[in-house]
Amino acid sequence: MSDTAVSTAEAPQPGRYTVPGPPPRPRSQLVGTGFAIAAGSMAVAGALGHYMARRHLLDDPGHDWLAGQSVPNPQLVYALITLLVSVVTAHWAHWASRRGERGHTWVGMAITLVMGFAFFNMVMYSLNRMGIELGAGEWENLAFAVTGLSLAILIVGMFYLGLMTLRSLGGSVGRDRSTPLGAAVFFWDFAVLAWAATWYVVFVVK
Amino acid sequence: MTDATTEAAHSTGSAVAPQAEDPTAFGLLNTADHKRIGRLFIGFSLLFALAGAVTDVLVRFDLASDSGHTVLNLETFTQVFMFTRDALVFGMLIPFFLGVAIYIVPLQVGAPNIAFARAAALSFWGWLVSFGVLVGAYIGNGGPAGGWDEGVRLHMLALAGLVISLIVGAICVAVTTLTMRAPGMYMDRTPPFAWSALVTASMLVVSLGVVLGQLVLLYIDHGYGRHFLDGNYGVWPRIDWMYRTPQLFIYVVPVLGVAAEIMLATARRWVFEPLALYFTMGLVGLFGFGAWANFGIAGEGADVVDGLEGIVLVGLYAGALAGVGGLLALLGFTVWQSRKWPRPTTAVLAAFGAGKLIAVAALIGLIGAGVDWLNIAGRGVDGNAPLRFTTWVTGQQSLLIYGAGLLGVLAALHWWAPKIWGRRLSELAGWASFAAIGGGAFLAWLGPTLSGAFTEQPQFVYNDPQLTTVYRSLIDSSAAEGLSVVGGIGVVIVLAGIGLVVLNLLVSVGMGKGAEADTDPWGGLTPEWLLDSPPALGQSDSLPQLSSGTPLLDAELNGSVAPAEREASEVPA
Repeated sequence: MSDTAVSTAEAPQPGRYTVPGPPPRPRSQLVGTGFAIAAGSMAVAGALGHYMARRHLLDDPGHDWLAGQSVPNPQLVYALITLLVSVVTAHWAHWASRRGERGHTWVGMAITLVMGFAFFNMVMYSLNRMGIELGAGEWENLAFAVTGLSLAILIVGMFYLGLMTLRSLGGSVGRDRSTPLGAAVFFWDFAVLAWAATWYVVFVVK
Repeated sequence: MTDATTEAAHSTGSAVAPQAEDPTAFGLLNTADHKRIGRLFIGFSLLFALAGAVTDVLVRFDLASDSGHTVLNLETFTQVFMFTRDALVFGMLIPFFLGVAIYIVPLQVGAPNIAFARAAALSFWGWLVSFGVLVGAYIGNGGPAGGWDEGVRLHMLALAGLVISLIVGAICVAVTTLTMRAPGMYMDRTPPFAWSALVTASMLVVSLGVVLGQLVLLYIDHGYGRHFLDGNYGVWPRIDWMYRTPQLFIYVVPVLGVAAEIMLATARRWVFEPLALYFTMGLVGLFGFGAWANFGIAGEGADVVDGLEGIVLVGLYAGALAGVGGLLALLGFTVWQSRKWPRPTTAVLAAFGAGKLIAVAALIGLIGAGVDWLNIAGRGVDGNAPLRFTTWVTGQQSLLIYGAGLLGVLAALHWWAPKIWGRRLSELAGWASFAAIGGGAFLAWLGPTLSGAFTEQPQFVYNDPQLTTVYRSLIDSSAAEGLSVVGGIGVVIVLAGIGLVVLNLLVSVGMGKGAEADTDPWGGLTPEWLLDSPPALGQSDSLPQLSSGTPLLDAELNGSVAPAEREASEVPA
């Protein structure tokens, strides 16, 4: 390593850049997660676009896609608020990890994951209460597919957070070792945003 | 290794100790070496190219008869038609250049391996298995218009698998270019092919992501009542934007990168404005995206967005034409500045031809979109069928897939075969392949384009029975039949060209008849030509110390001989 450090510190030659030390590739996982988020965003946007295009085609002002079903708005709003709070705790965990505060990191991640499970509990209760019957109609099919896609992304996000939590439990904390956890938190932000968009389109605008 | 480098390596998770590669065939199954993964992608994609061309021959000659099916029947025609598109786009065009990128990009940017090497291996195996399932779905009378319902959904699952696998591979390539460049290799000095791979990978991620969301909806609705799908035929119109222009432009951006590499190497000169090089390639990729706006989502409410749709299409083609035209002008000016007439090797001919064909495709696409825009009010009512519903589209596909795509494949294979396999391919066979692919692609484009423009022969007659009835009453049967035969003959010639390419590879590389290549047989400019041909298997534990994307040109201009004196700087293990 020392030889490299010496050779890379040579004075710049005409037309050449000074080589700045050892190969820097610190953010591969973060950038890779960014691309995965881009793909996921387009998938959600594609599904919601399809959903809205079908709704638009009905050409029947006042038509209610829900056809008499009632949406349990309070539960769904509480679920969304739970998710939003979990974003705060996830960022708290990452913030603590960057400062090497392991206790705060683990508590933050534990609370985030518990809130994630609580969210799924509330949403499944709400959907069961609505009694959406798959195959009963166009709205049911589309709502099930779009909602399911967003929930699947949240499940992936929780899995990713869980894996990176295990990594931080293994000692991967500190300023230079928190990028993987930051990547997982970044994905969680996206997953929550995707759910918020789905909730607004499917259960608020209807 | 010091504590500092250990910590840095640990924090990234990407730099690990050099791994020994099992050189046996069994080692292919668990390989995490970008060179082997790249070779696997390249090899299988060429096989699928043969399969796609064979089925396209059947489709073309079947269209030669308007009164009935001469080769296939109604049900098998739809299946074979769709399989052809799947094989040529998801079996050949995207994976071939993904494979080349997985092999070449790490060498070009000075990375020890591809980013997330295991994920890249997963990308290959996922793609291969998904393609096998897709073929199985078609064989079992599945596919988007099949008679076997579970088979239709199996096709959707396989397509989702293909898309996810290719997205994963694309992410690996993009992350390598963005985060694993060697010291001194700044983004504004990235080699043209690595940049084109980054553009395509980024655009694949965002454009193919759209179809994933759509497939979820289609799968659910198809399995439960088909409330918005009009039977099995309703699937294809909602996903066929992936196989059409302008989306096809995204898939051929790497061809522009290959062309730039070869033309600049033959000119022994770097472009006077590198940012223009990167910008024009990015422009082609950017304007390739947008297919979602007309055939997929907006197609559901086409009556609302017709006017906007026409303008958007014209704008997309104009943007793509500006990008590819600007790039070719830049490269042409650089070659002219060098005052060196390039030696007509297969790689040079194919690269030159492929680049030009992309520009021609953009120009013809612009004309077609303009005609459709002016004609949009009369769609299907006064006899003015939109060109994009006729075999005009098949002509565009032929131009970009067979013409630009396959010529790009030929150029890349001949240019990088020494670096990938350590042997040069036969030039004689290469010239024959170039003539066959170029000539065949011209006929494959000419027949359907004229037929679509003058006889209004529908590209795909069974996806909308209402339109089919209108079109069929308009078709000039004899002209349409004759022009379909012309297109069919063109595809047969293209098929012969692909066969020659595969044969050339088998003889020159497989049987070892090709001349052994030294480190830099072509006088290349970019960093991969500093390495052995082929580089040893396994993750590299040393990197060239680079100052630009063209170290060999820098050395030439500085009056030093770089290849033998290259420096290797230690990489944190």
